[in-house]
Amino acid sequence: MNRKIILIALAVFVLPLVLRLIWFFPGFYPPHTIATPDYANLKLPEAPISTPESNQIKQVGGVVILDNAHGNQFQPSEIQTLVDALGQRGARVELNSDSSKLESQLKYASAYLIFSPYYKYTPSEVQIIQNFIGRGGRMAVFTDPTRGLVIYDPLGNPIDNIPDTIEVNPLLEPFGITVNSDYLYDLAENEGNFRNVYFESFGKSDLTWGLKKVVFYGTHSLETDSGLTLLSGDDKTFSSETDATPNDDPKQGWAGAALDKTGNVLAVGDFTFLTPPYNTVGDNAVFISNIADFLLGGTLKYTLADFPYLFTGTSVDILPTSNVQMTANLIGAISKFQSSYKAINTEINIVQDSTSARNLIVLGTFAQADDLSKYVKPFNVTLNDANNYIELPGFGQLGKTGNSVLLFSSGDNGNTLVLLADTEDDLVTLMSNLSSDDLSKCVLQGAVGVCSIGSSGSFSTNTPTPEGTPTGATPTGAIPTPTVTPSH
Amino acid sequence: MSRFKMTGEELRHAAWWIIPALIVGILLSLLIPRPEIGVIQLSDAIDSTTAEALITQITYARQDPNIHAVVLIINSPGGTVVDSEAIYIELARLRATKPVVTWVSGLDASGAYYLSSGTDYIVAVPSSEVGNVGVIAYLPAAPMILEDVISTGPYKLWGSPRDTTMREVEMIKQGFFQAVTLGRGNRLKIGPDVLSRGQIWPASTAYQYGLVDQLGSETEAYDEAASLAHLWHYKMTDLYVASGLSQSTSVVGFFQQTNDGSKSPYPSQAGIYMLYIPALPSPEK
Repeated sequence: MNRKIILIALAVFVLPLVLRLIWFFPGFYPPHTIATPDYANLKLPEAPISTPESNQIKQVGGVVILDNAHGNQFQPSEIQTLVDALGQRGARVELNSDSSKLESQLKYASAYLIFSPYYKYTPSEVQIIQNFIGRGGRMAVFTDPTRGLVIYDPLGNPIDNIPDTIEVNPLLEPFGITVNSDYLYDLAENEGNFRNVYFESFGKSDLTWGLKKVVFYGTHSLETDSGLTLLSGDDKTFSSETDATPNDDPKQGWAGAALDKTGNVLAVGDFTFLTPPYNTVGDNAVFISNIADFLLGGTLKYTLADFPYLFTGTSVDILPTSNVQMTANLIGAISKFQSSYKAINTEINIVQDSTSARNLIVLGTFAQADDLSKYVKPFNVTLNDANNYIELPGFGQLGKTGNSVLLFSSGDNGNTLVLLADTEDDLVTLMSNLSSDDLSKCVLQGAVGVCSIGSSGSFSTNTPTPEGTPTGATPTGAIPTPTVTPSH
Repeated sequence: MSRFKMTGEELRHAAWWIIPALIVGILLSLLIPRPEIGVIQLSDAIDSTTAEALITQITYARQDPNIHAVVLIINSPGGTVVDSEAIYIELARLRATKPVVTWVSGLDASGAYYLSSGTDYIVAVPSSEVGNVGVIAYLPAAPMILEDVISTGPYKLWGSPRDTTMREVEMIKQGFFQAVTLGRGNRLKIGPDVLSRGQIWPASTAYQYGLVDQLGSETEAYDEAASLAHLWHYKMTDLYVASGLSQSTSVVGFFQQTNDGSKSPYPSQAGIYMLYIPALPSPEK
């Protein structure tokens, strides 16, 4: 009996405790392990291994004009790798900080280089640039979504961005290229950040030779209907404007660079890839090298009006033909010529034959000579020792005395300028005038020019000369056959 | 039946044992305290000040046996990476023994969502904003030397190359993604392609995406915490007071301030952040 009572007493003792516990806790939260990120094994993403660029660099020379007259948003250090690549090819980069000098600078330039302009290009500048491209000059336009004009609040925080595409698109529009005011991103596969996108699909061009993977560090997208897309993103590369691929079609990739249909205008959506250390990531160095080759690889069509900038490259050979005696005066004139060309970074050498010459200046007199005939024949110039005139198409019969002739031709391997005069002394005078860049006594008609170098020179033809034709100017339209009385 | 028949003497004898036992049992049961759900509030940016206060409260909750669950009330744009991670790790320790529920009362962005993702359950007011998963950083200046400052290496003064900082940001983002993936598990309905966009969503969208578990009120968050902790009856305890914090823990100097005292959403110091910076009004064009 006592045992029963004790058990009951224990039960009623425990009951309130149990009831209270149950009142509060119908169950228990089981302790367990909480998984957290594997912080110890998080790694810094590494850039793809750089592909070495080719060691074969051709010394092609040339001058590249760098736009610095339109509030361009770049620092020289940012584009130094491209400047260096141009330097390795014997070219030099010249700033254009004064728009009024653009036309004269482009006369001797191989290419025109633009980085993120902020100021508008005037209609005359656009025309000058289009003319330059029209005669075979090359242009590369680099933009960058980080280089718009950023508007800041009073604390210096960005609140708006006027993109650098605004001034670029009117310039590129005639060439069929548009740069969008967006940036590209890739959340799936990128180079350390979503805005650093890979390009692994390439249009067929010398510019994309040797490329397998190019990385841009913040790039606008580009569009071209008539031109060539050089770099294309994949189906995970989206534009910030649409958060999608072009037309929402995964088969289409956004372009990061494009070439116009003439092959002379390159537009690129980024230029951070030019800046160390990004210039060596992936095949960026190869691409920079290709761009340098592109800038210097144009085939410019020169006319005599471009004198003295008639030659691409860094050297010109002077070939005195057999009817020219190397008198002391002529040597002096060549020396002066040499100095003038040296001022524009072109080396002048005298050669005995022209077999290896890329650029050539041929010196001759109006006397017939076998080694001269091959240079004058393409111009249908008739030299006859029996006459006191020469037959010059477009000019008619040109008196030998006091006149000199310039014949200019462009070729794949170089350009040739033929200088002809009646005597060595006249040739010396002509060269002296040219060394002084003095074409004021010359009539230039495309590839042919006639300069008065004396007091008795004349040429005549049956067709009267249009009055008021300015000397030193290149008439446009059909070539007239003028009669010019040299001025004194 | 005769076995259970007791005489009056026997009844008195039994009562002498049972009634005191019952009284003692009742009295002792009253000593069992009503379980508590601790309440922690994060209503500012996450910096060293708020992190210290939160860690103090989390530690208190973990060590106090009467705290059986915690509700973390969040209205924050996030903050520094180190402080967000420090709080996150403390929350993980707490969760090993006690459930933690988040109630989003307004904004649960970036580093704040990093913390939320590390709790057992997220309840959000439908119009609150949730997400902005990602990291931002101000790159250090390009290395340079100064006439009056001598240092012992190119990055002694500037910390690291700009490129390294960019990659560090990406590495921290990977940790953030892991935290969200681990925390949300199968409940997460979106992939990294959507999550990594850094977008902030209304809680209703975040609910559809699996970033939150329920759209509801503060009391529903308490109910869920009680449910997870297997509590039927409980009381709420403000852990800020309970843990002995008395000084103000409001963030001072974290955000830029104008001369007239208005606050900018931008942090006042360069660094790496899990922070939501809402767009400022654009000037008229």
